[in-house]
Amino acid sequence: MRINEWASLYVRLLGAQIRAQLQYRASFLLQVAGHGMITVLDFVATAVLFYRFPNLAGWSLGEVAFLFGLGGMAFGISDMVCSGFDRLSIAIQTGTFDRVLTRPVAAFTQVLASDFQLRRLGQIGQAALVLAVAIAIVDVNWTPLKLVVLLSALVSGVFIFSAIWVIGAAITFWTVQTSEVTNAFTYGGSYLVQYPMSIYADWLRHFFIFVVPLGFVSYLPSLYILGRADPLELPAALQLCSPLVALAFVIPACGAWRLGVHHYQSTGS
Amino acid sequence: MIIDVHDLAKTFRVYRKRGSGLLGVLRREPVDVHAVAGISFTVEAGEMVGYVGPNGAGKSTTIKMLTGILQPSGGHMRVDGLDPARDRLELARRIGVVFGQRTQLWWDLPLIDSLDLLRHIYRVPAEAYRRRLASFVDLLDLGPFLHTPVRQLSLGQRMRGDLAAALLHEPPILYLDEPTIGLDVVAKARMRDFLAEINRERGVTVLLTTHDMADIGRLCSRLLIIDHGRLIYDGSLAAIKSRFGGERTIVVDLEDEAPPLKVEGTTVMRVDGPRQWLRFERRATTAAQVISTVVASARVRDVAIEEPEIEDIVRRIYQGELEAPRGC
Repeated sequence: MRINEWASLYVRLLGAQIRAQLQYRASFLLQVAGHGMITVLDFVATAVLFYRFPNLAGWSLGEVAFLFGLGGMAFGISDMVCSGFDRLSIAIQTGTFDRVLTRPVAAFTQVLASDFQLRRLGQIGQAALVLAVAIAIVDVNWTPLKLVVLLSALVSGVFIFSAIWVIGAAITFWTVQTSEVTNAFTYGGSYLVQYPMSIYADWLRHFFIFVVPLGFVSYLPSLYILGRADPLELPAALQLCSPLVALAFVIPACGAWRLGVHHYQSTGS
Repeated sequence: MIIDVHDLAKTFRVYRKRGSGLLGVLRREPVDVHAVAGISFTVEAGEMVGYVGPNGAGKSTTIKMLTGILQPSGGHMRVDGLDPARDRLELARRIGVVFGQRTQLWWDLPLIDSLDLLRHIYRVPAEAYRRRLASFVDLLDLGPFLHTPVRQLSLGQRMRGDLAAALLHEPPILYLDEPTIGLDVVAKARMRDFLAEINRERGVTVLLTTHDMADIGRLCSRLLIIDHGRLIYDGSLAAIKSRFGGERTIVVDLEDEAPPLKVEGTTVMRVDGPRQWLRFERRATTAAQVISTVVASARVRDVAIEEPEIEDIVRRIYQGELEAPRGC
């Protein structure tokens, strides 16, 4: 399938999902508002801590808000786009995944297009607001490169989180139930990327930079943009490497997906 | 032949607990379940074949392998010249699949939206889509609910929508898994008429699993019976009827309860108070003879003669009571 045909089918399937969600208008609006509130309250809780302690591991309130907004947006967007993978466990249990395999379109495309949590717009919007406020209050000498790093970090962050959703879904082909391990990296990861990683133990920081590269979502690019010293003393070049790392992480995720589908076809559910 | 299955097998490995509690979870022992244990058959283009057997016999597993959902663990198969396990995406364009208990329609959207989405999934050209849609609206009478959300449709309406959805890309092969389950008598009859029509007019090859022998009687000239993963009968429904339909059961209501009656050429199948069921072969004796013997030996209030239901015959074949030679 050519890329434009693929995109047009994807948009059509998404459109159907969104029309279906909008059938329940009141529920939709309440959930948008609810998700937005959760993000704001999360941040208010953090800000309250700053009232008592002037900084968090040496990070000012504005700097933490920057991380919070950037990480929150990356997670929110990937959560909105990839919720079909999060719900794969249900599709396997109810047998709708069998239907996916009887259609002449790749299973990956169909699962990707099977859900689109528009209600996450509330969360994404609030995270964007926190990021905008942070940009206004932090003392940063903006250069074109810093702007590029910010935008590429956001895109890379979406891909890194998405790869985790896909790997989690691939594991579901073995476990049937979504595993708590997966949730630890997705929902857990969303908290991880919203705070400075210098608050965590060394081994944990290394794990989230070199194994599951969540450090590249917000922490490392923020060190560059905010001009902060790296307490881990890793090569400074890593702070610009988010796109490469995202690409390198997406490849094994696709491999895991293929293995998972193959496993499903040999075992059933 | 459009479907060629040779020695097809599917083995699932399940883990059985050893002992109880937490230890049992840890010490699991693998057990191989042979869901399909070496099945061979062929289907010619344009045939309509019924595939029946008790729950857990391997019907659905076979269908899943023939659609490419599951990879077989042994044997060979060809569907319209393709290997389902290897050419799944290509095969998907040539088969229609209806799972009676699971709709493929978009639950919250009007039926027409689902058909339009499927048109894009299967890349049906706009002109062909218009023509086919018009024909399905006509044949299945979809008009009154084409713009109704699927979740508000009755089961019968939904199944008609599902049939249109499965046939929109004009597949030469249609698999139906329990297509009439849960439908009322009128909806069942309508579904059967439609299937007979597309088979006759368009030459669609149909393989259907069902629990309802009336589906088979109305639609299928050929019957495959499967049990414990093996094919135990492959032949016409008429052949089963002529071979096993010679049995009759006489239901006798006596004045009083009595021990099982002894009548030459009959077997007492059941005793329920004063009522007894006597089965006999028409070749061995006649109903008249049986009745006169019974009347001579006991006080009889009422007598009825029952012919065997096809359900009963098939059930007894797969319970092993009747021996079914293959290919009769």
